[in-house]
Amino acid sequence: MKKKATALLLAGFMLLTACSSNSNTKNEANTGTEGNAAGSQKITVWAWDKNFNIAAMNLAKDAYVAKNPDAQIEVVEYAQDDIIQKLNTGLNSGSASGLPNIVLIEDYRAQSFLQTYPDAFQELGDAIKTSDFAEYKLGPTSFNGKQYGVPFDSGVVGLYVRTDYLQEAGYTVDDLQDIDWQQYIEIGKAVKAKTGKDMLTQDPNDLGLIRMMIQSAGSWYLKEDGTTPDLKDNAVLKEAFESYKELMNADIVKVNSDWSSFLAGFNSGDVASVPTGNWITPSVKASADQSGKWAVVPFPKLKNAANSVHASNLGGSSWYVLNNDGKEAAVKFLGATLGSDVALYQKLVTDVGVVGTYKPAAEGEAYGAADEFFGGQKVIADFAKWTAEIPNVNYGLHTYAIEDILKVEMQNFLNGTELDKALSDAQSQAESQIQ
Amino acid sequence: MRAVNHTIRNRAKLTGWLFIAGAVLMICLFYFYPMIQALLLSFKTGAGANLHFDGLANYKRLLSDKTFFTAVKNTFLFLIVQVPVMIVFAMMISVLLNDSKLRFKGFFRTAIFLPCVTSLVAYSVVFKYLFGNDGLINLALLNMHILSEPIQWISDPFWAKVTIIIAITWRWTGYNMIFFLSSLQNIDSSIYEAARIDGASGPRQFFSITVPLLKPIILFTSITSTIGTLQLFDEIMNITKGGPGNATLSISQYIYNLSFKYTPDFGYAATVSYSIVIMIIVLAFLQIKLAGDDK
Repeated sequence: MKKKATALLLAGFMLLTACSSNSNTKNEANTGTEGNAAGSQKITVWAWDKNFNIAAMNLAKDAYVAKNPDAQIEVVEYAQDDIIQKLNTGLNSGSASGLPNIVLIEDYRAQSFLQTYPDAFQELGDAIKTSDFAEYKLGPTSFNGKQYGVPFDSGVVGLYVRTDYLQEAGYTVDDLQDIDWQQYIEIGKAVKAKTGKDMLTQDPNDLGLIRMMIQSAGSWYLKEDGTTPDLKDNAVLKEAFESYKELMNADIVKVNSDWSSFLAGFNSGDVASVPTGNWITPSVKASADQSGKWAVVPFPKLKNAANSVHASNLGGSSWYVLNNDGKEAAVKFLGATLGSDVALYQKLVTDVGVVGTYKPAAEGEAYGAADEFFGGQKVIADFAKWTAEIPNVNYGLHTYAIEDILKVEMQNFLNGTELDKALSDAQSQAESQIQ
Repeated sequence: MRAVNHTIRNRAKLTGWLFIAGAVLMICLFYFYPMIQALLLSFKTGAGANLHFDGLANYKRLLSDKTFFTAVKNTFLFLIVQVPVMIVFAMMISVLLNDSKLRFKGFFRTAIFLPCVTSLVAYSVVFKYLFGNDGLINLALLNMHILSEPIQWISDPFWAKVTIIIAITWRWTGYNMIFFLSSLQNIDSSIYEAARIDGASGPRQFFSITVPLLKPIILFTSITSTIGTLQLFDEIMNITKGGPGNATLSISQYIYNLSFKYTPDFGYAATVSYSIVIMIIVLAFLQIKLAGDDK
């Protein structure tokens, strides 16, 4: 245990010092920069998720190399947490040599990198035309009026429903078009009564559902400035909390504790619906025997919030170019592929299942294709349509810090604390946390 | 003559220093330099690389930080419940294994020590699946009709703590047992023989001979376990992620969150790190005092 103690202490301390970061990154620097030293333009890309982001980047690479045979692009897979740690330690030490040229960053976290390390990222300038991308993606990917990120996948959400369970409970897909959360809960109760299946599966430690609810009404944990917590007296958040509690108390939720049991919830046919981001499509389709039994309907809206629409977002990320050797080549690569290549976006849909946020791509044929798994529904076209309707909010710097505070207050609220008190407690904690 | 002697002695001294110079240099560079840097860092505020000195601001924030106090409370709960349970377990098992009449001793020793060989992350992940809502533990308990409803081992604030305690106890009991076992083997069997002749019962022998003679080891294992528990990270990170809410958040995980999960605030993270240092010093001091070991 002594060894463990030493290792932990050392690791903790060393990460904080420039000294260690330098020595850490020197080894890795070879992979990143030897190409440059040799005079060619080797571009290193870091991303997570082999079947999604990495697969998409490899398609972009193939498309680019086909036109520029000299180009060398290396796509490296890391876990998202590792990328965040490596970026933080690398950028903090001031030594960018061990870092890649292009990195994928989640939209919720983007501002925290752009604002914290102001000179570390390369402005894209004319390489992409910002008006070609979904508007809600531009807030998180720009800073001080300059565009730093190439908006990538849409986190547009939908309500995935099991049509067979609904039918058994006496509903058709049409009954679920454009509903609100109250109606959703009523349908859920009916489904539970008739089929014995829960309506959805939720991890109480993940407030993704709250995030989707509030963004559908153009609200967020922070005010529009991206720094002032907006929890106390936030009517939208209040309604989201109340709806969430009603949902949890209606006995229609199968509790899960992690990602794999979340997936198992719908793959094994235990739940009748999944309200989440479109990136779940490949996972839903993983159960081939359920083909034809699913449909995707617009996301439910909040009943009382005046601005609430049937479109929202969950997750999603974008590509950033680091301000180091090879940045020109990296910008050129991104601009020529994900910044403008409509054909590439069609391939992304058909081969990987990525719904992009590049608007001209929606005209392509892959977007209009019917999907037999979803009973012939043109799901990609629907998602592309809803993407354009997502309210634009400023995620700011503190999504996860505030969410950790809210998780606790949500537990308190579920256990009987008054909502106003829970949210005002959260507000004061958030204010002291964010300085 | 005297002068020559002096030179030789000096030279010997110098040689000695040269032998350890490398190690001393490395220790200074990789231990003390980072420690001092971290102390300086704990007085700085700002996000990421934009750090500037801000006096005691971080320490003031620490004293009014509800999340920090929850983390401290959780960590101490683990400490107070888990460390004594584990030490008692380790001691009992070692006494059983030390019995000269026991067969397959080697097998049992290996089996009980084996958990320590597994990687922290690997065993945590296995525990997470065992204790999942549809996990093996729940299935077994349900099928044996011990439970009628599955226990939310990971999603319920109380059971999540229990799960963590079970996990660390499983992982570290064997490790501590080895210390007790080696110490037991050093106790002269004639002491027990004499006690038996005097008519001392088994329990009496345990409490009047074994426990007092094991005292230094009890002290050692409880201090190292205390330090280990204060730095609890892997299990929490992999099994519960600190949840539900922050019911199982530990101090080390809070440091991680401050540095990497949230917008990086390395200054405040260093402040929280130093609070662990202070707690360990105080606790170790108390334990030594309470054990009355003034050697």
